[in-house]
Amino acid sequence: MMQMPFRKTYLLTLVSIIISALFLFPVYWMIKTSLTPITDLFSTPPKFGLLNSTFQAYVDNFLKNQDMLRYIGNSFIVAIGTMILTLLFAVPGAYALARLSVKGKSIIMILLLAIQMLPGITMAMPLFIMFSKVQLIDSYVGLILADMIHALPFAVLILRPAFMALPKGLEEAASIDGCNRFTAFARIMLPLVVPSMMTVAVFCFLFGWGDFVFALTLTTDDSVRPLTLGLYRFIGQYGTEWNNLMAVATIAALPIIIIFVALQRYVVGGIVAGSMKD
Amino acid sequence: MEPNTMPSVKRQSGSKLFSTWTNYIFILPIILFMLVFVLFPIVYNITLSLQDVNVYNFKKEHHFAEFENYTNTFKDPVFYTALRNSLVFTVLSLVFQFGIGFALALFFNRKFPGRNLMRSLMLLAWMLPVVITASIFQWMLNGDYGVVNYVLQLLGFINEPHSWLSDNGTSLLSTIIANIWIGIPFNMIILLTGLQGMPEQLYEAARLDGASRLKQFRHITLPLMKPTILILLMLGIINTFKVFDLIFIMTAGGPVNSSNVLPIYAYQLSFLKFEFSQGAAVSMIMFIILIVLAVFYLRMTSKEEAQ
Repeated sequence: MMQMPFRKTYLLTLVSIIISALFLFPVYWMIKTSLTPITDLFSTPPKFGLLNSTFQAYVDNFLKNQDMLRYIGNSFIVAIGTMILTLLFAVPGAYALARLSVKGKSIIMILLLAIQMLPGITMAMPLFIMFSKVQLIDSYVGLILADMIHALPFAVLILRPAFMALPKGLEEAASIDGCNRFTAFARIMLPLVVPSMMTVAVFCFLFGWGDFVFALTLTTDDSVRPLTLGLYRFIGQYGTEWNNLMAVATIAALPIIIIFVALQRYVVGGIVAGSMKD
Repeated sequence: MEPNTMPSVKRQSGSKLFSTWTNYIFILPIILFMLVFVLFPIVYNITLSLQDVNVYNFKKEHHFAEFENYTNTFKDPVFYTALRNSLVFTVLSLVFQFGIGFALALFFNRKFPGRNLMRSLMLLAWMLPVVITASIFQWMLNGDYGVVNYVLQLLGFINEPHSWLSDNGTSLLSTIIANIWIGIPFNMIILLTGLQGMPEQLYEAARLDGASRLKQFRHITLPLMKPTILILLMLGIINTFKVFDLIFIMTAGGPVNSSNVLPIYAYQLSFLKFEFSQGAAVSMIMFIILIVLAVFYLRMTSKEEAQ
């Protein structure tokens, strides 16, 4: 009887492994399909294992055909651009909303919360007409600005509580040391919120990398289109070559999987903070 | 390793910038951005919805059309199909995301080796770009060679392969299943965080009083989790109601509008039929529904904070 609790916890571990494996089956199926030779793709019953694996689909889509590489490059530009610009705008803003006396704080906060709830498609149409008039269609800047509509409010909602949590009187101490408002912000406050900035950076990258609505509506030309749209067009063109499709999908998922493994704690923190705090 | 640290410390002689106008320098970029890229487009959308702009008169002068676009929308049977599908999509997605998410949260709230790893692994489903998820489910639900048909036949649920996405009766259901998969980890993480903040003493006291697990759940867990649950559900409604990409990629709203929802209906009007004003009206209707929901959400969060 004394052994029971010990055994029981390992039973729970086993159950959790089974649950996770079943739940993540679609991800396995994507990777597995991408490694299946086209001749095995349509066999009944389907082959569940990784026997006969081949990297042919990757060679065909990324080495022989360079189109996908351009899509990948575009995705990186948009995702990293969204990340950098959002941080540049959101960090000072969140700081002011947290620690400086500014009029209309509560209105700004409510607006930011409301913006987060806007459907992308509601914004896409007026942006399309606006951007056509100022030549921002088919440009990285246009896509980045559009992605920032959702990234900015999220960033402020994550960063403001982080600034608020810093001890009071930090600025006063800095001013005694000869800092002005701006150097106090840059030298004292910023280094203290680096973890929250990491969370924001991760999520902005995810937003930029995963965006589909704006890529669909604000680009007409392949030269700036990101990988999400490349994959979508691929579905239309090669609807039955699932191994090729899944190879492209796997490559598109790769940066996300890497970020996920390397920066997991920022992801979990961001999900909770982003939905529960004010 | 701190990129934000300045290289040298310059001492300032007395002239500190403590006037309040400098505060606004910090906040100016974000305010300008919101004015130009959020408020202006929304106002533009409202005026567009009250005019008669389409692809033919796009570059000419536009006329004020009063509420004609709105009355046209309310006369269009497709609007009601899309509205109904939006409601079905939202309600079914939420019920299962939340239900399964809660069950998993309760499971992962128990202490066992490797629980953090397993819990986090599942988050991958939520983080993947929707285009990828949509294409995986398209392949798995494929009528001829999809693995779902194979497994269902193996288990005896169906006798012959079914074309999930191209059948009117199952197209919406297919997108709902994919959406549930995406949403489960999010619900689980939020609920798990709530569960982990629960005072352990309460459960100990309940156990001493001989309360069963079910009773503990009903009388301690649920009441204490109520604020978290309400906010999660409200946020879920708002985020599910506006799902566009998943459905657009999997079925594009078809076949014959069987999986059409409001965001796709608005897209079709604006970007496929180039009825810009008509599309703007639909997206304003959607916007108003979401604003009403958002007001509820804001009330809940402010109440939560006041406590």
